[in-house]
Amino acid sequence: MASSVLKIVFSPSHPQGGTGRAGVMTDVHRRFLQLLMTHGVLEEWDVRHLQKHCYRVHDRTATMEALEDFINNINSVLESLYIEIKKGATEDDGRPVYALVNLATTSISKMASDFAENELDLFRKALELIIDSETGFASSTNILNLVDQLKGKKMRKKEAEQVLQKFVQNKWLIEKEGEFTLHSRAILEMEQYIRETYPDAVKICNICHSLLIQGQSCETCGIRMHLPCTAKYFQSSPEPRCPHCNDYWPHEIPEVFDPEKEREAGTSRASKRSLRSRQH
Amino acid sequence: MPRGQKSKLRAREKRRQAQSEAQGVQNAQATAAAEEQPPSSPLPPFGGAKSQDEERPSTSQAQPSTDRYRRTPLDDKAILLVQFLLRKYNMREPITKEDMMKYVIKKHKEHFHEILRKASELMVLAFGIDLKEVDPTRHCYALVSKFQRTCDDRLRGEEIMPKTGLLMTILCVIFMKGNRATEEDIWEVLNVMGIYAERKHFMYGDPKKLITQDLVQERYLQYQQVANSDPPCYEFLWGPRAHAETSKMKVLEFLAKIHDTVPSAFPSWYEEALRDEEERGGARFAALLGTGALANVRPRANFGSFSHL
Repeated sequence: MASSVLKIVFSPSHPQGGTGRAGVMTDVHRRFLQLLMTHGVLEEWDVRHLQKHCYRVHDRTATMEALEDFINNINSVLESLYIEIKKGATEDDGRPVYALVNLATTSISKMASDFAENELDLFRKALELIIDSETGFASSTNILNLVDQLKGKKMRKKEAEQVLQKFVQNKWLIEKEGEFTLHSRAILEMEQYIRETYPDAVKICNICHSLLIQGQSCETCGIRMHLPCTAKYFQSSPEPRCPHCNDYWPHEIPEVFDPEKEREAGTSRASKRSLRSRQH
Repeated sequence: MPRGQKSKLRAREKRRQAQSEAQGVQNAQATAAAEEQPPSSPLPPFGGAKSQDEERPSTSQAQPSTDRYRRTPLDDKAILLVQFLLRKYNMREPITKEDMMKYVIKKHKEHFHEILRKASELMVLAFGIDLKEVDPTRHCYALVSKFQRTCDDRLRGEEIMPKTGLLMTILCVIFMKGNRATEEDIWEVLNVMGIYAERKHFMYGDPKKLITQDLVQERYLQYQQVANSDPPCYEFLWGPRAHAETSKMKVLEFLAKIHDTVPSAFPSWYEEALRDEEERGGARFAALLGTGALANVRPRANFGSFSHL
């Protein structure tokens, strides 16, 4: 094969990869990747359907792999491209989500080819405000007040409002009642970058040790937890206590996300999407 | 493409490559060594970023084991180019050689073709996506899936209704206006159908929000400011999901049905739709059209006519 990078990873004519540790990539996996990319970020239920669909189209006779193995297989092949399918969860209600992410640490520059210099700088400013905030949300007003400090072409506030909407549409930010926070896709793609760039300001969940933007915090010792992590941790505790200082946990404990309950609710997907706040 | 042909091409390429690569690697390494720091991206270094060398893909995790083969700097560039192309895949806008040079290739300009070739191979093998040169004079490329779209590429085969009819109309208008339509164009058509921006609609609710936000969030439409417009005005384009789930030909058929005619009754649009089908590898589809078998698009009854267009 001509391209030597591929020698390590692919071997289309033989089922086993050259190194013996690489996975097998077939059209089932390729179609899956294309569709996942088209959607940007997908919830787990949709991902399972997507997998079924791809098998149906390309390889009806094969036994479908368990989703986890299917994804690990793909990831072992994409590893040498520094790309992977990453699994995360929405910060507000713990829905599992998947996205194809670029692992290279030069993260913001990934967006560089999609946005103008001043737009990128606006994103940076919003990102900094979000990270520094107590709630994980930055108000539209506060972001727009920084418009004069942006690098590149001068941007008016009205234009900046549209740019922020563009970020929402491209699933980098989520808007709730005039305030902005990071979309789960942005967290998936940029976690490493954010942790390296803002090591002092960044907040970490005490339970899962991942980046924390929205969450609850202990009023005594200050440790923080994601809402879904809190839900799981305090699931069967009648009296929730801080895992660090043992003081009474003063916040309402959310429910653990239950995919079965969602399905039984029977509401059509389309109407549900328009009723819930814009996550995905 | 039959494997045999590709292997022959590869063998020939391999011989030529072996010669030039030996040279190229030396040159590339020399260039990389002489590289200025920080990387020459359009962004100034952002908040204490530590990447000082020429932009290489790297993570703080363990590198994949590549002990039997050492990756060359050109391989690294090819990987970066793949990442860049993947981001562009969803944009469905042609990718220019200029952009690739500016954002990825940078100082390895003379190795552009080789890097492009490697990246193309990776795209095909990993994602089943072809990189095609669509405009040789302006060096524009497009990314096209090797796969035939199936109607079930919509998740769970569910219809996009009740928005389908409205969406098809909008996609139609965008196509007919040369693949981008101003917000004014769209409202002109929707108003004829009794759908107004400021008025609540019994079926669509808040039409303005629906088309400028909801359908955009779902990636069926792209809504953006017209470049350099002052006062700002906005335009619509097809979103990546529209491209994935339908096609210019399908949309043209939709229009034709409304007018009780056939797609070829609109010669210039028909031509463009045929070209689009070819790009999608739709030779089989074109044959189907010839026998009069049409795909399953049904215009909804509550549609206004397009006769004024």
